[in-house]
Amino acid sequence: MRKETEYLKKEGTNKKLLRAELLFAPPLIIAPVLVSVFFINDWFVRGFSTGISDYNGEILLAIIILSGNILFDIPFIKSLKTLSRK
Amino acid sequence: MRDMKKLTTAKQKIVHQQIEMKNKIGSIQFEAHWFRRVFHTFAASFLIYYMLPDEPWITTLKTGFAVGVVFFVFILEYLRIKGKIRSSDFFGLRKYEEKRPASYLYFGVAILILLVFFPQQIAIPCILCACFSDPIIGEIRHRYGKKEAYIIGFLICMFFFLITWHTVDMSIMFFVSIFGASAAVIGEAKKFWLIDDDFMIQILPAVILLILWQGFLFGGINILPAELILPI
Repeated sequence: MRKETEYLKKEGTNKKLLRAELLFAPPLIIAPVLVSVFFINDWFVRGFSTGISDYNGEILLAIIILSGNILFDIPFIKSLKTLSRK
Repeated sequence: MRDMKKLTTAKQKIVHQQIEMKNKIGSIQFEAHWFRRVFHTFAASFLIYYMLPDEPWITTLKTGFAVGVVFFVFILEYLRIKGKIRSSDFFGLRKYEEKRPASYLYFGVAILILLVFFPQQIAIPCILCACFSDPIIGEIRHRYGKKEAYIIGFLICMFFFLITWHTVDMSIMFFVSIFGASAAVIGEAKKFWLIDDDFMIQILPAVILLILWQGFLFGGINILPAELILPI
């Protein structure tokens, strides 16, 4: 049985960890938001304003992507702040 | 008396250092934990693939790009397992991933297969399951237990299938959603050493839905709903 929560320990310091996280953090947080905005915009322009319901799936997806990401981004940013203080 | 005092302070120092070290390791685990979760949710961004135009040269370009990214990750993992790159340089890697491909490679390969070979009506809910159900199941399992995690996970997966298949007949919608969600939860729950759950949670429901769709098609009924994302 593998141990699910055990991670490989880094030999470096917190600085190295922070650098790795800070490098990845902006695209990880911004990309899903941009994609959601893109879906919402497309739904509004091609669907809502023209009265075509075929685009309703895009708004549903945008809401799922946005809310799902916000749900996990908040603790991630909090943990990042905690690490940067150490 | 003085020696005893010295000994106590030395002991206290060691205990203090041990606590500090434990906190440090704990914080690293905590960081990696959220880092992995956010990597999962971020992957939902790849759904933009369906938004890109269907013109042949763009299809070649976007497929080529997706294959290129996965190939790059594949090379990276090959070098890591062969020892050319240190595993400790990879942030958030789990211990059991040290001698086998890391889960992000499985995740990437599964998404690539879904994007290229499956219709989006099947691929989208499977990708959403891996992006959101997987981390939610992980969190609930961590806090409340396995049973609760899989029940809630099943409901969330079912929600994704219902959303994608909402335009078809009600009975087909529920039939497909129950099958898809069950397969996704089984894919997540069943642990194999070589095949990661990040792969199984996507491919297992996709293959089952593909068989269902083809089965119905063989009987003369096309159950596939309208596309959820229309290319620009």
